[in-house]
Amino acid sequence: MKQTPVLEGAFVSDPEPALVGSCCRSCDTVAFPASFTCPNPRCSRKDVVAAPISRTGRLASWTTVHFPPPPPFVAPDPFVPITVVEVEFTSEGIQVVGPLTGASPDRLRTGMAMETVVEPYYTDDSGEVIGWKFRPAEGGGDE
Amino acid sequence: MSDVIVAGVGLHPWGKFPEKSWVEMGAEVAMGAVADAGMEWTDVEAMVSGAMQWGGSTGMRSGNTIAAALGETGVPIANINNACASGGSLMRAAYAMITSGMHDSVLVIGTDKSPKGYFPSVPVLADEPRPPVDMVRWQVGVPNPAYWALEMRKRMEAYGSTEEHLAQVKVKNSRHGSLNPYARYRKAFTLEQVLASPMVCDPLRLLEICATSDGAAAVMLVSDKKARRLGVRPLVKVAACSLASGEFGDPTIRIPLLAAASDGAATAPLLSESRLAAQMAYEQAGLGPEDMDFVELPDNSSWHELQYLETMGFCGEGESEKLLDAGETALGGRLPVCPSGGFSSFGEATMAQGILQIVEVTWQLRGTAGARQVEGARKAITEVYGAQANNSACILTT
Ligand SMILES: [Zn+2]
Repeated sequence: MKQTPVLEGAFVSDPEPALVGSCCRSCDTVAFPASFTCPNPRCSRKDVVAAPISRTGRLASWTTVHFPPPPPFVAPDPFVPITVVEVEFTSEGIQVVGPLTGASPDRLRTGMAMETVVEPYYTDDSGEVIGWKFRPAEGGGDE
Repeated sequence: MSDVIVAGVGLHPWGKFPEKSWVEMGAEVAMGAVADAGMEWTDVEAMVSGAMQWGGSTGMRSGNTIAAALGETGVPIANINNACASGGSLMRAAYAMITSGMHDSVLVIGTDKSPKGYFPSVPVLADEPRPPVDMVRWQVGVPNPAYWALEMRKRMEAYGSTEEHLAQVKVKNSRHGSLNPYARYRKAFTLEQVLASPMVCDPLRLLEICATSDGAAAVMLVSDKKARRLGVRPLVKVAACSLASGEFGDPTIRIPLLAAASDGAATAPLLSESRLAAQMAYEQAGLGPEDMDFVELPDNSSWHELQYLETMGFCGEGESEKLLDAGETALGGRLPVCPSGGFSSFGEATMAQGILQIVEVTWQLRGTAGARQVEGARKAITEVYGAQANNSACILTT
């Protein structure tokens, strides 16, 4: 089946799944999704390159969404609640939101290690739409 | 520089009005504010109106649409959209027109009809090279209350806030709203009823998140010279009208974005735009939080009320729950919060909700707020919560 990324260039699957943002070569500011320029107002050089973000971060927060979001979200019928997690990537100094996968929300604890994976979001007429998700890291207890 | 006086206000009841257009609602409050000021429609020197995205092209130029209905007079009309901060942005635009001496009277109008449920995305150009982040966040599945829930869980971790605190905010505001004939929801809920309402984005329940409503509000602002001529009594003065945007390094994940500076790396405070807007307003008025007799803040959810008390400088971080527990934020307490009943009793009508707050404060300062009157109210601050880091605060005094 044809696979389309939910956002072109926002993640890679090889050599391992990871988010891709932009990093400023002048002031090291990381942005996600990647920006065409540096969002630091005090940076005058604004020289950015695409930069993969660490695969593993720590869980900052989460919530389970109990009612289906509107389109373009594609909700199964009957709707199964989805859990949205916020993961902090310390080296890059950013926190990113994405769907939880591979674990029940009951297992979640603030600070636990989470890793990025690339999985299907939904299937439509054009094929499979894939994007980033987060799951508790392999063998990961608290970070 | 002229003082700016609230000479008249107009408010439409809030709810769902499928039989009535937003133009009729807007025209009604416009004429209400003009009449309340003792003026005629043809005396209005300029208008600013909320550019209503759900109303299509005519909605985006709502001021012109309303003027055409009421009779065109050729006055300057500016239509402004700043998401939920639109009301404050309109107030600020009108305020600047009067303080600059450009006009002696400016009519501020907000009228809005909102789609039911989660706010959907607004259609975008199909031939943009990349989908806008607003599309992506829906594909990920992050409705607005999820953003607030993510912040609330952090608050629970940091300060031990509980689900009962969230419910108590609604209990209090629903009691206030039950006293307001203009509110959409006039039922006073008990703690048990709030806690029994369905979970939407945990820990936020249905009754702890404001609905989307149809609503309209208008304010007639005039110069002090004009106010004297009109014989306005009492003089409700706009002491400050701020507008602020977000700062780089703010850890808030802003609707509709999907990332922010991490809490550990943040170089600006949570809701930096809201903190700035409040600070700017205090500075402009030469007053501080301790001078305020009550506050109308953006209780878009129960989390907002807890967070904004801190963001607006009324207490330290993690202390809002104590004010709530002690009853200080209820009518009769030291600092009544949302005596109108707040957005939880009215629902969001984005173009109008900031102006709704000004109408409520004006009635309170005039001493005509009826059963929900804050005793001896002389000074109050209003603040909204705007998407994508937009915010405004107003201080009114008498
Ligand atoms: Zn830079």
